[in-house]
Order: sequence, then C-alpha cells, then structure tokens
Amino acid sequence: MTKNIIEAMNINKIFNLGMENELHILKDMNLEIDRGSFIAIVGPSGSGKTTLLDILGCLLKPTSGEVLIDGVITNELNDNELAHIRRDKIGFVFQQYNLISSQTALENVELPMRIAGVHRKDSRRRAEKLLRTVGLGERMYHRPPHLSGGEQQRVAIARSLANRPRIIMGDEPTGNLDSKTGKDILDLLKRLNKEENYTIIVVTHDLRIKKYAKRIINLRDGRII
Amino acid sequence: MLDLAYKNIMRQRTRTILTALGILIGIGAIVALGSIAEGIDTMVQSGLELTAGKITVMEKDAGFFGVMGELTDEDMEVIEGIGGIREIVPMLFYMENMIPMQGPEWTAIGIDPSKGEYFIGENAEMEDGRMIEEGESGVVVLGYTIANRYNTEVGDFWTIKEDDFEIVGVIEKTDISDIDTSIIVDFDDLMDVTDSDTYQMIYVIPDDIKDTERIAENIEDASERLDAMTTKEMARQAGEIVDQIRIFTFAIGAIAALVGGLGVMNTMIMAVMERRREIGVMKAIGATNRMVLTQILTESALISLIGGIGGIILGVIGSFFVSSIFGGGQITAVVTPMLALTGLLFALLLGVVGGFYPARKASKLDPVEALRYE
Ligand SMILES: Nc1ncnc2c1ncn2[C@@H]1O[C@H](COP(=O)(O)OP(=O)(O)OP(=O)(O)O)[C@@H](O)[C@H]1O
Ligand SMILES: [Mg+2]
Repeated sequence: MTKNIIEAMNINKIFNLGMENELHILKDMNLEIDRGSFIAIVGPSGSGKTTLLDILGCLLKPTSGEVLIDGVITNELNDNELAHIRRDKIGFVFQQYNLISSQTALENVELPMRIAGVHRKDSRRRAEKLLRTVGLGERMYHRPPHLSGGEQQRVAIARSLANRPRIIMGDEPTGNLDSKTGKDILDLLKRLNKEENYTIIVVTHDLRIKKYAKRIINLRDGRII
Repeated sequence: MLDLAYKNIMRQRTRTILTALGILIGIGAIVALGSIAEGIDTMVQSGLELTAGKITVMEKDAGFFGVMGELTDEDMEVIEGIGGIREIVPMLFYMENMIPMQGPEWTAIGIDPSKGEYFIGENAEMEDGRMIEEGESGVVVLGYTIANRYNTEVGDFWTIKEDDFEIVGVIEKTDISDIDTSIIVDFDDLMDVTDSDTYQMIYVIPDDIKDTERIAENIEDASERLDAMTTKEMARQAGEIVDQIRIFTFAIGAIAALVGGLGVMNTMIMAVMERRREIGVMKAIGATNRMVLTQILTESALISLIGGIGGIILGVIGSFFVSSIFGGGQITAVVTPMLALTGLLFALLLGVVGGFYPARKASKLDPVEALRYE
C-alpha cells in the first residue's frame, strides 16, 4: 500500500489548446495527499479549484502530467477503467446535491451499489445503514424534492459512501446551505474522516474550514501558493 | 436495471403511452393484416387437401381466384384418350351473387353423385340425412357451415336460379371450407339450371398415384387448352401467392410501425436531453458508457414492447373484424403464434433501433459538462 492515496505530478490543464481562446488553468502542479487526511482547496473564483478536483476525481483528464489514485496511474486508463475507479475508490458530493429526484433517498443511496452490481438485498441493507449513519433513518422513503437542502446533502454523502471508497470529494458541499446546516455537514465529514479514516477533499469558500482541515491548498493563477 | 427503466419511462406517463400507441397501431396493422394472409393460407391448404392424389384440370390461364375458364366435352375426350386413368370427374361451379373482394354468397358444386367421394372425400359423414343418390334429380346436399348460416335443414328447399331443390342431407363439419360452405348438386341438374354447356374443372384420378405427375404432363401435351395441376404444383403456386400476400401485408404494417419507431426515437431524444444532468451524475459515480447505453436502450425497448403487446391484442381484435368483412366467411383470419412473435420482435427491433441514437448520445455524454450545465 502506497503511503499517498493521491499523487499528482506536473499537472497542466489547458482548455481550448492551440486556439485563440486558449486557457492555461493549472500550471505544473504537484500534489501529494496522505491517506486519511482532510484537505481543503481554496482560492478565488476561476482559480481552477473545480478543475483540479475533477482531475483528481478522474472526471477530467489533465493536458499533461500524471495522476495516481491509490497507486494506480490513471493517465492511460480508458473511459471504462476510469469509471471503475470513480465507482470503487471515490465518492462525490456536489454543491447542487445532484440526487435523482424521481427516486427515494434509499434508492439514491443504493444507486452506486447497483452500478457496481451489488446484490439487491445487500445494497438495500447497506443503504439503510448509511442513511441512519447520516441521521436520516426516518427519511428513507422520501424523494429529494421533499427533503431540505441539508437533508439532501446528507443523502448525497450517504450515497458517496455506498461502495466503501477511500476518498470523498466535495465541490463546495456547503455552498448552497445556510451557516448552521453547513456546519452540520462539515461536522459529518469530519466525523467520517476521524472515525472511519476516509480521505476527505473539499473545495470551499467556507471560512470555518480552517478548523476542520488538516491541510489547506491555496490556488492562485493556476498554482498552489 | 429493468425496474429503473420502468420507473424512468413512467416519469412521463402520458408521453410514454402516446409513444407506445404509435408502435401499437403499427404492430396492430402487421398482426391484423398478417392474419388475413394466414387465413388465406389455411383456406388454400384445406383446399389442397381436397385435391390430394388428383390432377386438377382447368382451362389454361384460368385464375386461382378469378374467372374459372370453360371446359367442354371435347376436352373430356382428350383426357379419356390418355392411359392410366381411373376416373374423370367433371365439376361445375355456380356462384350466387358474386361480390368482388368478398366472394360469392354461396357456391353450388355440380358433381356426378357416383363420384361425389372425389370431392367430399371417402370418409365424410353426414350430419343429417343422406347423400344424393345415383340418377336422383332435384335434390341438394349442404355443407355444414352453409346449412347453419341459412338455418335450413333436411326437408327444406334451396333455390338455385329459378329452381327449388329439396335438401336431402347436411354434411358433417369437415373444417375444409370448400366443403363446409358448398351446396352439392347433381352435375346434370346444375348444368340444366344454369343453362351451361361448359364447366370449369375436371378432376383426374390416376390408377396409380405414382403416375400423377406423368399423367398431368400427358394431359398438357395432348391439349393446348388445358392446364393440369398436381397437388404439388398447386401447393407451390398457392404458396407463392400466399407468400406475396404475407409480404405485402407485412410491408403495409411495417410502414405504420416505422412511424411509431420514429416516435420512440423522438421520445428518447427528449428524455436524454431532460435527464442530461442525471446521466452525468450516473457517470460521475461510476456508471460506464455501456451501462448508460443499455439503460436508455432498455427504456426504449420497454416502451416498444408495451406498444407491441398492445398491438398484438389490437391485431387479434382486428382479425375478427377482418374475418367478418372479407372473404364472405370463407376466410377465417387467424393470429398464429408465429405472427404474434413477428409482431413482438418487430416492435423490439424498432425500440432498439429507434433508441440507439439517443442511447449512444447519452453514453458519450461528458459528466463534467453535464454537471456544469445548469
Ligand atoms: N471546459 C472548459 N472550457 C473552457 N474553459 C473552462 C472550462 N472549464 C473551466 N474553464 C475555465 O477554467 C477556469 C477555472 O474554472 P473552475 O471551475 O476550475 O474555477 P473555480 O476555481 O472552481 O471557480 P469557482 O470558485 O467560481 O467555482 C474558469 O475561468 C473557467 O471559465
Ligand atoms: Mg468551482
């Protein structure tokens, strides 16, 4: 087992490469993330936080450089293999929650397990357990439109844990929540980090993050400062 | 993922039902029209049973369904001159009130009573009464269907042209529509009533069944006018015609169904557009391109299958109507399992083909793009 759950070496991301509107967003970026750490990525709007997170989350390919997830070099993997990495190693939490509105909280949490081909009975039991863990034991059969923002984000966190990934990535997970609810979500992430050793990486503007994160990565003009 | 597919298509219930309806109408047309072809096939096949081991002689180019041509005693003499023949059975047909597309109201068949077995078969039993006897005049025997339809029985009279004939017997149901729907009359009687000196058909029965083909050839060699067909030859010709009818009816239905297929495509394109974000989420959390493709294809196939099953039901209902409209009761349109299966498979095909483009589009969706998109 490698020490670093994520390693990024000489990452560059250039949008519209070779065109007039070329944008060099990430510049020669190097990054090592320890297992079980709690990382916050901060920086002004447009500094490339989401882009960096998407690359670390195998949703976006860097223009150059290498990304290792749990020791696996992801550069040469095809779409299929990248999908499997996302499915098995990474849990995503989004600012807009991105739950499937036609499905109940329980079904939403089951979804990644169904994608992974987990037996229906097992996926149901685990989804129920996860929803209880995030404090939504009483809301399992509600659909997202009938849940508050904070509750929806808890469902999203439960969903991100479904396939027992090692990393949870959140792009402004508290961005749509009021201050109190945002704090609850951060507390929940902290608890998962501490008690179950999940590696947490969040992009955030939330100033309270300093109290939660072990390490803060500050982006400016495509570089870590 | 079938339950997911079902849930997804039911999110837009009305749209799904309307789309399925498009398929339903097309498959309904395939099945209903196809049932006519099957009905014609059954009728023709049962007709062929009648001619097994016989040679059917008609005037050349006399149609299968159309005008039946004219044979004379001279033609009889030509045939008599050929060796190896056991029996020659001239037959006269009289069709009452012939309506194009629907056929006649009923058909009287004139045949020498002593040779009646060659038409109705040796084992035909009487439902009631008796057969016409040799030398007997002024009597008829009815097929089962015709007796029932006109609610007549032994002792009643049947009018052909101006003359009344006493009904002396009703033949038991044979399931051969040519027999069940006919009125059997003495040959000479029917010649007199219809005032004809020609007839339409001669059955030739060979001494030895192995000589059938050879005798048929001899007859054609002996006369320019005559067309001698064995059962084999008739089966081939009839098969060709029925196949053409099958293809034709399928083509009509297929065009209707194709329009339904376009509807499926349209619906799925809309569904993929509406669910862009959701598909992006699925991919972000680990669904492969192939899974997304399968998911969308399953949905479109499901819509089509629902339409297809409805179409088969509609087709079965339609086939009853068709039976009562066409063929004057001669044709019983049937939905064979094969036909139903064809309809279902065609629906499935439309679903998969129609769903392929949107499914492919969905599978290629870039999750980052889809998630950024508000
Ligand atoms: N697909 C793309 N094509 C072109 N430019 C892009 C693309 N994606 C992102 N960008 C640009 O890259 C820059 C960084 O975007 P990114 O979303 O990473 O910023 P961010 O730090 O997350 O900002 P915010 O705090 O506002 O979310 C922006 O200027 C954005 O316009
Ligand atoms: Mg961002």
